[in-house]
Amino acid sequence: MTAAGIAVSVVIGAVLLLWVVNLIRNDRLYVGYGVIFVLGTLAAIGVLVVPPLLALLTRASNALLAVPALSIVPLALLTFLMVYVFAQITVLSNRVMRLTQELAIRNAHGDGEAEPRA
Amino acid sequence: MITSPAQLSRSMVAIPAYNEAATIRGVVDRVRADLPDCDVLVVNDGSRDDTAAALAGSGAVVADHLCNLGYGRAIQTAVLYAARGGYDRLITLDADGQHDPAQVRPLLAEFDSGRWDLLIGSRYVASKAYDGVPLGRRAGMQLFSSIVGLVAQHRIYDTTSGLKIIGRQTFDALTNWQFIDFHAEALVYLMRMGFRVGEYPITVAERRHGQSMYSTISHIKYPLKTMLMVVLGMVQAGVMKKRIS
Repeated sequence: MTAAGIAVSVVIGAVLLLWVVNLIRNDRLYVGYGVIFVLGTLAAIGVLVVPPLLALLTRASNALLAVPALSIVPLALLTFLMVYVFAQITVLSNRVMRLTQELAIRNAHGDGEAEPRA
Repeated sequence: MITSPAQLSRSMVAIPAYNEAATIRGVVDRVRADLPDCDVLVVNDGSRDDTAAALAGSGAVVADHLCNLGYGRAIQTAVLYAARGGYDRLITLDADGQHDPAQVRPLLAEFDSGRWDLLIGSRYVASKAYDGVPLGRRAGMQLFSSIVGLVAQHRIYDTTSGLKIIGRQTFDALTNWQFIDFHAEALVYLMRMGFRVGEYPITVAERRHGQSMYSTISHIKYPLKTMLMVVLGMVQAGVMKKRIS
């Protein structure tokens, strides 16, 4: 991979990383999904910036599966799409979670004295 | 120091329970005997066993989650309930019977010294060592204790204790942010927000029934998720402090 290609890939990785972290911080991506994307992206950036690792991976991938270098583009798109889909799942999941909590509080029952006052 | 029933009545004991049919009734009975002036809330976190049936006639209020949301969210439900109910303190206990409710009174006395916004019943603060803890778990506890000390400038030795007293002043902060298990990530977030978090020594019994909430796979996922949330909690606390000021 050329120096320019590596630079562009690292920038894409950094953008993905910032997006994922910001989604988690805003409770729009479950941290259990997010940590996988964060680790995956950091690993990919690590491979890109360490030339011996990149050379090793290139040799290994060419030996196993001869793919054009441009295949990284659909892979990157697919990763962004996956983050988006998981973020949407998290948003839905959060709505269910809030509904569950609200129902639990409103329907809290028992023979104690601790009924909610609000 | 709390001495009058009127003061104690503004405290609520919250017990998150998931599949704890074997122990939950005993825990509630002990809480009601040892802390008769505290209201008791059990958050039944989608249990699939007879936890709900075991609580019938116990005198506790039961808030049923329709599905399992996890420990952190069960605590959050209790915080929401306590906030709406006008409670001054929320006392959290584990449902497995490891905590002796009688140890809550000295903890409450320390909390009411006014020095803390959140006080943790700590198994390790007295010895400052993790004797008797399995190696892997000990490494995790030391790691998170050190991380909390590093980023919040105040070391907490027992970041995973289920016995806590949570002051009303922290309720808003706790319901507006996400937590995994209400452990190191929650403590760092609160401490970076400026809340005072402390520890008070307690002893705990061995779990005799049920299973720990941590599976084999969660021993790998938990530290990764918690570390990420610790970092994000620091960022979020900074954002929240700016918004408030």
